[in-house]
Amino acid sequence: MSHSVFEKLTVLVVDDSAYMRHLLMTLLQALGVPRVFLAVDGEEAWELLNTCRPDIVLTDAAMVPGDGFMFAKRLRSLRGHALGLVPIIMVSGHTDLASVERARDIGVTEFLSKPISARSLYERLIQVLDRPRQFVETPTYRGPDRRRRNAPFAGEDRRGGVALI
Amino acid sequence: MPERRTPSRLGGQDRNGDDTPPDVRFIRVPSIAERKLGREYVAPMRLDPRVLDQMQETIRGLETKYAEALKSQVSMLQILVEPACKGDTEARGRLYSLAHDMRGLAGTFGHPMVGRFADSLCGYLENCESEGWKDGTVIVFHVDAIRDAIENPKTDAAVTMETLDALERLIEASRRDRRKRG
Repeated sequence: MSHSVFEKLTVLVVDDSAYMRHLLMTLLQALGVPRVFLAVDGEEAWELLNTCRPDIVLTDAAMVPGDGFMFAKRLRSLRGHALGLVPIIMVSGHTDLASVERARDIGVTEFLSKPISARSLYERLIQVLDRPRQFVETPTYRGPDRRRRNAPFAGEDRRGGVALI
Repeated sequence: MPERRTPSRLGGQDRNGDDTPPDVRFIRVPSIAERKLGREYVAPMRLDPRVLDQMQETIRGLETKYAEALKSQVSMLQILVEPACKGDTEARGRLYSLAHDMRGLAGTFGHPMVGRFADSLCGYLENCESEGWKDGTVIVFHVDAIRDAIENPKTDAAVTMETLDALERLIEASRRDRRKRG
């Protein structure tokens, strides 16, 4: 019998809204995810990180005291640690360009705008599970490659000259 | 043709100005699906319509419960408006938090217009200084629109869009007023 990858996942959900946490957890369970850990903000998520060792993180953006941006930044700062490479899906109602760009520049893997739909969540999950973007480490950025398209680029293309590790 | 995109705010900061190549490393990240499934992995992973149906069924199962919660949240909004506009910071925080919850959830559970009105209210409050709270007109009208959208979910879409436009005009007028007053 073939298994679904969802049956082998551990997901960490971070959201200050109890309804949103419940919704995301229920949808993940409907997909077959057996281990869903919940945190109410970035601080609690950080505490949970080593216990749950998630394969994917779903986080809200605006939370107090520790918001999703800060949490994502801390996560990406874990150099030399597998947890630092974990896909982060930011689920947020703040869909203005500044917020999306901030998320991108912190190293968030995917951005999912609220209100979510079953399809949008499912598609983002497939994206991070099966079509990972290569990771880039520079002194000022650590996260998935922000160039999604393989289009001609005006500037020095450093990808060709750097060995993949 | 060169790729057109919004430059990253970090763009260029990793260059040090001379010809030394910057310290850049690329790491090939393995597919989680491939790693977890091993020999059972079949590429590429595709959306399974049966699973999607199951997820949508899950959302439908939560709709009734959410509709009840939404009603009590709107009642709470109506209670909070007055103290919030009189300067009660706790009431302001709770009012924003409720509107923020509605913005994020109402659309998922079949109340898209509630979500739109809540989004408009949140946008207003996020850019609102104390003066804006004191003139509670914009907030009251938004709360009324949210209540109407819940009580009359089958209202003609054109009417609700007109209400949304009217709220946007009200916000703009309120901004102009505040600017005039300095």
